[in-house]
Amino acid sequence: MNSTILLQSIGFGITTAAVIAIGAMGFTLQLGVTNLLNLSFGNIMTLGAFASLIVERWHLGLVPTILAAPLVGAVASVLLARTLLAVFARRQNGAFELLMVTLAAGLIIEYTLDALAHLQVFQFQFPSGATVHLGPFVFTVLSLALIGAAALVLAALLAALHLTRLGKALRALSVDPKLARACGVPMRRMINLTWIVSGALAGLAGLVYVTNSLTISAGAGLNFLVLVIAAAILGGAGSPVGAVLAALVIGVATEVVAAFGGSYYSQAAGLAILALVLVLRPSTGMWSGPTRDEVTV
Amino acid sequence: MSFYLSTIAVYFCVDLLAAWALNMQFGWAGIPNFAFILTQAAGAYMYAVVALGPSGGLTAFQHYILGASLPFPLPLLVAAGAGGVVALALGLITLRPLRRDYQAAVFLLFAVIASDVVSADVGLFNGSNGLAAVPQPFSSLQTTLGLGGYQWLYAGFTAVICLGGLSLVRGLGGSGWQRALRAARDDEAGARALGVNPAVLRLQVFFIGGMLAGLSGGLLVGFISAWSPGAWEYSETFAILTGIILGGVSNNWGVFVGTFLVQIAFQELTALFLPQIGYPGLSDALVWVVIGVLWLLVIYFRPRGILPERRTRMSTLQPSTSPEMSDAD
Repeated sequence: MNSTILLQSIGFGITTAAVIAIGAMGFTLQLGVTNLLNLSFGNIMTLGAFASLIVERWHLGLVPTILAAPLVGAVASVLLARTLLAVFARRQNGAFELLMVTLAAGLIIEYTLDALAHLQVFQFQFPSGATVHLGPFVFTVLSLALIGAAALVLAALLAALHLTRLGKALRALSVDPKLARACGVPMRRMINLTWIVSGALAGLAGLVYVTNSLTISAGAGLNFLVLVIAAAILGGAGSPVGAVLAALVIGVATEVVAAFGGSYYSQAAGLAILALVLVLRPSTGMWSGPTRDEVTV
Repeated sequence: MSFYLSTIAVYFCVDLLAAWALNMQFGWAGIPNFAFILTQAAGAYMYAVVALGPSGGLTAFQHYILGASLPFPLPLLVAAGAGGVVALALGLITLRPLRRDYQAAVFLLFAVIASDVVSADVGLFNGSNGLAAVPQPFSSLQTTLGLGGYQWLYAGFTAVICLGGLSLVRGLGGSGWQRALRAARDDEAGARALGVNPAVLRLQVFFIGGMLAGLSGGLLVGFISAWSPGAWEYSETFAILTGIILGGVSNNWGVFVGTFLVQIAFQELTALFLPQIGYPGLSDALVWVVIGVLWLLVIYFRPRGILPERRTRMSTLQPSTSPEMSDAD
C-alpha cells in the first residue's frame, strides 16, 4: 500500500515540478544573462496571477485569462529593470546592492497589492478536468496541461538559445558581457528581451501556481519563490535544463514528504535539498555559480 | 500616555538589542543575514514554552513542545541560548564560500520556510495562532505597583539589559577580534594571509549575535505575553536593517539613531498618533510600502547612513606589546 502512495505522490510531484520549473526557467535565464538575483521575481508572479484573476472575473473566456498573466508579468518586469534597477545600476552598485533593491521593490509590490486586495485571499476557480491514468500514475487533465506547458517552455527556450543567432548572442552575453558587446551584440536590446521573456515566464508561473493551489493572496508569490530560487540555484544559474531537473527533484521531494511526513514539512523538504547541496557542494562545476561580479541590467 | 511611553520604551530597548546584534553580523562581518528574525523568534518561543508550564494544563487551548515553568531569570537565559543555537545552525549551513547575493537569498529562503513550518505545525508552537498567556515575570508586583508602575519597572529592567548589551557591543567593537572580522569582510584573502580564519570568526559572530537576538525575543515576549508567526515575518528583518542602514552600518550610535527613526518614530508613533485610515490593516500594509521606499531612498542618497562607519586609525589602536613593533610605527 505504501508503494501506491509513493507512486501517487511522485505523480503529484511531477505536476508540482512543472509548476516550479516554469518559474525557475524564467528566473535562471534572467540570472544567467544579467547576473542579478531578482528577489522581486515572486512578486511579479503574484502580479501576473492577480491580472488573470481580474480578467477571469470579466468573463472574456479562457484565452484572455491565460494571456493576461504573462503579458502583465512581462510589462512589470521590463518596467522594473528599465526604471528602478537602471537607476541604481548607474550608480555603480554591485550585485548585492541591486539584490537589496529588488527586495525593496518586492516588498513595495507585495504590500501595495495587499492594500489593494484588502488583505484578502481570493479563490481561483479552474476546472481540473477528468482523471487520466498513465501507467502507475494518476493525473488530471489540468496537471497534464501544466506538465505540457513546462515541456513546451523548455523546448522553446532550448531551441531559441541553441538554434538561433539571438540565442547565441544571449549565451555570449551571459558568459562575458564586455567581449559580447565588443563583438557587436546589441546589449540593450538583448537585456530588455531577457527581462520581457523572464517576466512573461514569471507571470505564467504565477497563473500556473494558482491553478494548482486555487487561492491567491498578495503574499503567495514569495512562498512559491522559495522553491523557484532553490531550483534555480540547485540547477546552476543560467541553465534551463538544470532548472528543470532541479525542479523535478524538489517537486517530487516536496510531494513525497507531504504524503509520508506530514504536509507541514513539504516546502521545507525542498529547502533541505538546497541546504544539503550547499553543505556538500563541490567547489567547482555546476554549483559554483557565476564568477563574474558585474551586473548588467 | 505614561502607559504608551513605557510600552514604547520596552520596544525601543528590544529593537536596539536586536539591531546591535544584527549590525555585528551585517555591519562588522558583512554577512547578509536576512534570516535574522528567526533567532529572535527562537528566543521568544523558547522563553514562552519554558515559562508557560506543561502543555495541556491550565493552557489547554494551546499546544506546544517542552512545557516547563522555570523561575524568572532562567527563561531569559534559555531564550538567549536558543537564539545562539539557531544562529549557529543557520551559520553552519549558509556560511559557505558563496557569493554574497546568493547567501542573502538562501537566508531569505530559510526565513520564509521556517515561518511556514511553524505556522502549519500546530504541535510545535501552536501554529499560526501562536502562544498566548505567557506569564510576565514577577506578575504579583502588578497588584502592589499598579499596571503603570509595573510597566515602568519592566522598561527599566529592559533598559539595564540593553545597556549591558551596549557595553558588550562596545567592548567587542574595540577588540582585535572585531578588527579581524572587518578585515575579513573587506579583504578575505588578505585577512587569511595574516593568519585570520574568517570561517571561525563568522560562526562566532553568528553565535553572539544570535544570543543577543534570542535575549531580545525573550524580553519582548515576557512583556507582551504572546508570540505568533505574524510577529516575525521576513519583513521584520528588513525593518531592522532599514534602521541600521539609515543610521549608519557598523556605527553603534548610528544604529541607535536609525532604529529610533524607523522602529519607533515611524512604526510605533505613526500607529499611535495617526488616525486609522480605511479598513483595519490598511495602514500596516502602507507602513511596509513606505519602509520599502525609505530603504530605496537611503541606498540611493545615503548608502553609508547618517553616521558613517568610523575608520580605524593606527593611533587609536592599543600600543603593541613588542617594542620593535612600536618603534616601526
